[in-house]
Amino acid sequence: MDLFLQYLANGIVVGSSYVLVAVGLTLIFGILGIVNFAHGEFYMLGGFAGIGLATVLGLPLIVSLLGVVAFAALLGFLAEQILNRQVKDKDPTNSIVSSFGLAVVLQNAALLVIGPQPMLLRTDLSMVPVEIGPVYLPLQRALIPVAMIVLVGALHLLLRYTWVGMSLRAMAQQPTVARMCGIRVSRVAIVTFMTGAVFAGVAGFLMSSVFMVHPLIGNMIVLKAFTVVILGGMGSVTGAAAAGLMLGIVESMTSAYLGNGLRDIVGFLMVVIVLLAWPQGIFGRKLERS
Amino acid sequence: MTRLHRRQALRLIAGATGATLATPAIIRAQTPSELKIGGMLPLSGPAAIEGHQVLKGLEFAVKEANAAGGALDREIVLMVEDDEANTTRGVIAVRKLIETDKVPFIVGTYASAVVIATMQITKEYGVPLLSGGSTSVAATDANEPGNPWFFRSWPSSVDQGLDTANAITGRFGAKTVAIIHDSGSYGYSLGDQVEQVVKDNGGEILSRDTYNAGEQDFTTLLTRIRSEKPDAVYIGGWAGDGAMIVRQATEVGLRTQFVGSGSMVSDDFIELAGPASEGFAVATLYEPSTPNVYGAEFGKRFEAEVGQAAGTLNSLGFDSTSIGIEAVRRTGGTDSKAVRDMIATGLADFPIVQGPEGATAAFDAKGSVDFPNFIAVIKDGVRTLA
Repeated sequence: MDLFLQYLANGIVVGSSYVLVAVGLTLIFGILGIVNFAHGEFYMLGGFAGIGLATVLGLPLIVSLLGVVAFAALLGFLAEQILNRQVKDKDPTNSIVSSFGLAVVLQNAALLVIGPQPMLLRTDLSMVPVEIGPVYLPLQRALIPVAMIVLVGALHLLLRYTWVGMSLRAMAQQPTVARMCGIRVSRVAIVTFMTGAVFAGVAGFLMSSVFMVHPLIGNMIVLKAFTVVILGGMGSVTGAAAAGLMLGIVESMTSAYLGNGLRDIVGFLMVVIVLLAWPQGIFGRKLERS
Repeated sequence: MTRLHRRQALRLIAGATGATLATPAIIRAQTPSELKIGGMLPLSGPAAIEGHQVLKGLEFAVKEANAAGGALDREIVLMVEDDEANTTRGVIAVRKLIETDKVPFIVGTYASAVVIATMQITKEYGVPLLSGGSTSVAATDANEPGNPWFFRSWPSSVDQGLDTANAITGRFGAKTVAIIHDSGSYGYSLGDQVEQVVKDNGGEILSRDTYNAGEQDFTTLLTRIRSEKPDAVYIGGWAGDGAMIVRQATEVGLRTQFVGSGSMVSDDFIELAGPASEGFAVATLYEPSTPNVYGAEFGKRFEAEVGQAAGTLNSLGFDSTSIGIEAVRRTGGTDSKAVRDMIATGLADFPIVQGPEGATAAFDAKGSVDFPNFIAVIKDGVRTLA
């Protein structure tokens, strides 16, 4: 039983990192209809930016975190200019193809500038133990689910109670009507991309003390995030949060009881089953239009 | 193009303006005052880090040889080509070195796939190829027994795996072993080998797990292995993944003897794994603390000259280059076929820096030198030979 709880905790930590990446991805898809393949690169660059600020410049972790937020927001702004503004109106598939291109460009740029050597953010937090009953986690790992809950909670409040959030939701439901009601579509698109990129960048920074950062890590995390988005229902933030945790826990249990080699298979098997049984995702809503 | 290459180009231009009526063709081929030797390494691309380390060994060997009067009363000049760890680029590189620079031998390369692709070409031209880090048994197996044109002055990956596996049950006295390896062919062959050897030595395999190269989270796997209480855990895969596993093992409180595959011999591994690497064991061909007196002296000279402690990659580059230069000196000419014959049979008394005390360039029929690997244990962040 103690072991089971430990496996569960491990799953929640990893699942939380999936949630942070998937939330941005599902937001950009839900509001703008763009499948952003370059999302994993926001995660990767967030990790590198954090290591650069904290290790190379020697800034405190909180200041580095703010730096990563600013950097990721800028990245999101630029990505919007390329993926949404320039190409989207001509053909929706253009933005999918160009996001794939952007991913390749960012990966290779990181390879050229930073190099292939994996890096880790070294903090004193790895030595601080957190014990909850029989479950043991180093502090840096225990902080990841906490950060996830805070960030997703904040996003939820933003979407629910602010003017910006309402315009985002209006855009997601019916872009044409939203535009007729006076919502500035271009501004919504920029806010969406910036929010998505900030979530991915912060996830990259948080995970850089636990997992290695190198130019190609975006590939794997974006695949996991897509799995989460499909499971949770395209465009659903709460769905992504629930599905992300679920995927992390299922992977952990698979690795514990069935064998580590099966963990990736199980995740993608879940996607196939969910798509067959609930094509809109477990938490996705079917929109009824009159 | 490497920096070295550019520097040489400048020197050649300077020489050409000084010399009267020199034509480009004459400048590029061997000249009476210079002896060109070939180097081919991955200086860009996926194996660039390793390639640059090996190159330091080549450059150091050339520098020392020139300080001792060069060879054949000529100054030795190293011509280096970048193969990018790519077979096509490798083929172009060896052709350039042989046809344009007319080198008597080539030291190259790190990636075994590139060695296998180029060794038939160098053989056709009659130019010997000395490994620049390739360790795969497939490369020496591609030699015609008794007529080798590719030479590796250290044991193959199979022998390395065997020495490592025997150390688990022998030196570390483990009765129960858990195996973790990556799901590529490299990881599987290592896993199979260790499982076989441990069972043959009377040990028990508690569990065997695979992971995809580049996977990041091993905590659950390691928590489960902790509950199995193995005497030792063997990791077969790339250095980055190995470092991640060792790190996370400390986090989940799994304390046991970790033994890794040969790829984890680098200092980058220690850097990435941090304090968690203490006690980690890995097979190695060379350490500055080697009992090999000739090797230990090389280590001191290398560190004084280059400013970093010599490692396996530096030492093997040094050995391959020194063997080639010595063969040229002993044959007294630049005929590449005679140089090959000298390497194959005439250097059994020539000392090498790798391996135990007294190791020499005594190549066997397949072009390999066999000696036992050292098993190093990391102590205070340094690989230590017990």
